[in-house]
Amino acid sequence: MTTLFLVVAVAEVAVALPLLLRMAVGPTVGDRAVALNAFSAQATLSLLLFSAFASRTIYLDVALWTSSFSYLGTLVWARLLERELL
Amino acid sequence: MREVVVGLLCAVGLFFSLSGAVGVWRMPDLYTRIQASTKTITLGALPVLVALVVGTGVLTPYTSRAVLVAFLLLVLNPAASHAVARASYKTGTPQWKGAVAHEPDREQPS
Repeated sequence: MTTLFLVVAVAEVAVALPLLLRMAVGPTVGDRAVALNAFSAQATLSLLLFSAFASRTIYLDVALWTSSFSYLGTLVWARLLERELL
Repeated sequence: MREVVVGLLCAVGLFFSLSGAVGVWRMPDLYTRIQASTKTITLGALPVLVALVVGTGVLTPYTSRAVLVAFLLLVLNPAASHAVARASYKTGTPQWKGAVAHEPDREQPS
């Protein structure tokens, strides 16, 4: 069971490789923000599964902070694009 | 038995995550990329979170964090994607040439 969690945790990041490509070449800032948002969701899932693999519940809080603050980052980029932040 | 359920749920989640990532990479413009990402993030994350709960047991710290992360993904992720789409549309990000509706000058209901 724990090995399965590790395999899925690695695979969750591996399937998000096209998001990294889009983040690298994305023609507009919005493309990069969308790819970053999706990738941080995948990273959150990977952290949750890794904490179940390693039996360390402290990683769960890292995943919780990642999921909540990636939203703030995407929202800040959107407001900055809209010229309402500054 | 429990391993089979966890494996199946993780396979469903990984399939939708992969399809969303490929959609973000292959779609022609920003708006279709947002559409590909938001649907598949929620649909790819929730089966994996259910698999985590099934695999670790119900009354554990994993369950409470899985429920919290599921709530955050379900509520905040559409809001963030909507904000990015609105900002990009207002600042004139070009659409795909096959798009059939583009009405930036239309009066917005306030």
